[in-house]
Amino acid sequence: MTGEKKIEKWNRISGFILLIIGVMTAWGSTSLSMGKFKHPGPGFLPFGLGICLIILSLILIFKSWKKEISPTPLWFQRTWLRPLLGVAILIFYAIVIEQLGFILTTFIFLLIWMALIERLKWKTILSISVGTTIVLYLIFAFFLEVPLPKGFLKLG
Amino acid sequence: MSDLLGMFQGLMNGFGIAFTLNNLMFALLGAFLGTIVGILPGLGPAATISLLLPLSFKIGSPVTSIIMMAGIFYGAMYGGSTTSILVNIPGEAASVVTCIDGYQMALKGRAGPALGISAIGSFIAGTLGVIGLTFVAPPLAEFALKFGPPEYFSLTILGLLMATLLGGTSILKGLIMIVLGLLLGSVGLDPISGAIRFTWGFFMLQEGVDFVTLAMGLFGIGEILYNLEKELKTELVTKKISHLWPTLKDWGESKWAIVRGSFIGFFIGILPGGGAVISSLVSYAVEKKVSKHPEEFGKGAIQGVAGPESANNSAASASFIPLLTLGIPGNAAIAMIFAALLIQGVQPGPFLITERPDVFWGVVASMYVGNAMLLVLNLPMVGMWVQLLRVPYAILAPIIVLFCCIGVYSVRNTVFDIWVMGIFGVIGYLFRKFGFEPGPMILAFVLGPLLERSLRQALLISAGSPWIFFNRPISGSLMGVLLLFILFQIFITLRKKWSKRS
Amino acid sequence: MKKIKKIGWLLACCSLLLPLSLAGAQDKFPSKPIELVVPFAAGGSTDVLARLVAKFAPKYFDKPLVVINKPGGGGVTGTEGVVRSAPDGHTLYMGYGSGHDLVMPHFQKLPYKTFEDLTSVCRLSVHSILMIIRSDAPYKTMKEFVDWGKKREQVTASVSTKAGSVDISFQAVGKTTGLKMVTVPFRGGAESVTAIVGGQTDCGGNHPSEIISHIKAKRLIPIAVALEQRDPAIPDVPTFKELGYNVVTVGSVKGVAAPKGTPPEAIRYLAERFKKVCEDQEFIQAMKDIGQPVMYLGSSDFAKYMKEGFEQYGKLIKEFNIKLE
Repeated sequence: MTGEKKIEKWNRISGFILLIIGVMTAWGSTSLSMGKFKHPGPGFLPFGLGICLIILSLILIFKSWKKEISPTPLWFQRTWLRPLLGVAILIFYAIVIEQLGFILTTFIFLLIWMALIERLKWKTILSISVGTTIVLYLIFAFFLEVPLPKGFLKLG
Repeated sequence: MSDLLGMFQGLMNGFGIAFTLNNLMFALLGAFLGTIVGILPGLGPAATISLLLPLSFKIGSPVTSIIMMAGIFYGAMYGGSTTSILVNIPGEAASVVTCIDGYQMALKGRAGPALGISAIGSFIAGTLGVIGLTFVAPPLAEFALKFGPPEYFSLTILGLLMATLLGGTSILKGLIMIVLGLLLGSVGLDPISGAIRFTWGFFMLQEGVDFVTLAMGLFGIGEILYNLEKELKTELVTKKISHLWPTLKDWGESKWAIVRGSFIGFFIGILPGGGAVISSLVSYAVEKKVSKHPEEFGKGAIQGVAGPESANNSAASASFIPLLTLGIPGNAAIAMIFAALLIQGVQPGPFLITERPDVFWGVVASMYVGNAMLLVLNLPMVGMWVQLLRVPYAILAPIIVLFCCIGVYSVRNTVFDIWVMGIFGVIGYLFRKFGFEPGPMILAFVLGPLLERSLRQALLISAGSPWIFFNRPISGSLMGVLLLFILFQIFITLRKKWSKRS
Repeated sequence: MKKIKKIGWLLACCSLLLPLSLAGAQDKFPSKPIELVVPFAAGGSTDVLARLVAKFAPKYFDKPLVVINKPGGGGVTGTEGVVRSAPDGHTLYMGYGSGHDLVMPHFQKLPYKTFEDLTSVCRLSVHSILMIIRSDAPYKTMKEFVDWGKKREQVTASVSTKAGSVDISFQAVGKTTGLKMVTVPFRGGAESVTAIVGGQTDCGGNHPSEIISHIKAKRLIPIAVALEQRDPAIPDVPTFKELGYNVVTVGSVKGVAAPKGTPPEAIRYLAERFKKVCEDQEFIQAMKDIGQPVMYLGSSDFAKYMKEGFEQYGKLIKEFNIKLE
């Protein structure tokens, strides 16, 4: 875990984000009826939580304000690239799975992931992709009878 | 005295019933199925039992079907901790706490001992739980009845505050995560008033966020995204995988944690609703407080695994108590067992022990047998699981992601859930970057609805007076413990600050 | 590695050619297992009823009945699922006549039309609404309870589901008796029973099947029932009407419904077979053991009954000016 001191600037940023969330929550809760103490409504607890969040985030900001140490950057040398790729491939999976069906999409997912992110040898990529897709299909669709999308090719 | 003798005799009869070949077979089947169910994301013990109910009619005797279902229930507990330790993904809410130190142990090459002590601890706890069930069930169940909304509120708040101890080094950040988790728990249709909260028009969010989605996203995807930053060409665990089994030293360090966990789990587990989760939290907090090296917690302290795992298993045993003695099901899986009994003509309730002693004692004995079976099943598999960590992370990571996607999809058959999981994955990743621990958040998420429900019910009962939380004996004591806890924490923090100055 | 690659390709091609689903010829009903959707959590009275029926079904149905739980939204989620399913008679809604069918539409708009989007198949049982008290309470009858309650700021009743049939009935009771009745909602019957047994509230509202074991154990005493006439399962319990409080309901009705557009032959088949189940002696006895009376009513009679019940609740709500808070 990164030392506490080094992430003070980030604490300030996260503090501000949380503050905004807190305000939005409290604000949103007022549109839900809060009821009275005798009869608390749906907005009761969220409002209270929003206030708590505001207080806590202010404390966080305050604590980090005092220390102006130059922080370690969160990302450096494009370390954000691989996680971003990961997210992108995941998004692809979500978009495509109902169109192409489970089998194809899973296969392509594995191919792209191992090729782009990990850059393994093609032989490894192919065999793992095929094998994993089959095994996963067998476990979930066959053994557990989980309904998986078939896509327009109606595979599965 | 004759009462005790009678109980002992009943138990012996029960063992006689449990040890028939048929029942043993079904106990094994149940345990096996349960373990698989616990490991695989998405399917939970309640759903599995529901699927197998029609099968249970054909088995014939109600005792046999409960034996199998109890096996599934326990097995799921075991399986859930396996994924927590190996890949930091909690199988169910009661295993979230296990992730914290369990996964750290795995990263240090100690997955074997973690899994091993988890299995052993669960076995001992389950056994102690069954013993407890045998001898103190009825009076304890009566006591559990006294827990009403104010008590649940106090207990849940106490549990949540203990979760701040899971918040890494910063209690402030832990509190923030708890608040966020509580807010997340209120997304969706409010059951008490029918109002729809925080769904921003997404119909799919009306039922709220699902635990599986949150767990897979926050823990699974989040962790993987975080790990992607480093080019891990090799295995996740580069340290040589040392012993496969817990060492004597491990055992010495954990044995009291196991005993404490068993007791904590048993007493909290009796309470209908939320027993296992809260008991794992309390156990972790107790272990951390009692330990001579509290700084080890969060880095792979074996007590952080032994305690909570024992707690959630004895809680599982204890959750049968309200069912068998009062006829009140405490959670979804037990409710299924309850339904199964009713359909087979067995009335769970205060008369069960006298009217159908074969069912009562047969179940009790089989719980013991089931626990033993799980130990026998799981210990050999530890070696197999540990090998999993040897798979190059480059290959393991996308497979885990796929597991998460399918698991999440299987809950409601909608791609929307995969999106939500993805969003939480990114959030989980950012949390780790900014130094926030996701553990307290997901726990607060799970306990949030119970907290809010109890709060509102309590205020309805008290006509708005908050004193109800303090002037009832149980709730008052819990609140007292809460206050002491807070004061103690403040005291410690202040003392640290003073000693820094001087 | 080369060999693995070859085998891998072979397997891949095979898996692509694998199960191309055969479009099944579906002219005989039923052509596959029938789904019985229970829009409540497992273990509740509706769920138990469904599973009991499913247990006896193989004797009379050509295909098995499979019970599926789809809880949520007070029953609305699961019901909506059935409404939107294919109207081929293989997906049925169990619990037609529950709170969200007869009561909720009076207060809020549902995402479907209860009486138009669903077709009645038959009625299976009726769960009456009982007022119960603990056996060690300082009051033993309805009259004593009212006298006791008048002296207090408020009286609490544990109920399942906010704005369900029980909740509304109890609010009506509050209005007729002049008591300040505060209904405390819990998640379903089992939880609300736990509350009253534990003495968390002054009284409770439940169905007979939920408390039968507690009545036997002499922990709980039913003091009134909200029906037109006494419930045959518990004939010693007077109706509210007899006691002078005009709270009359149809209770919580448990029937079976199919989505609109289901072919009439399918409905006829289902109604006939369910009737056979209801006439089975073992089934009747099993139902009796769990406190649920077998009350079969055929499709058209049931549809009429549902309409009447709905209107009755409407009248109750209007007469006592019951509001959703």
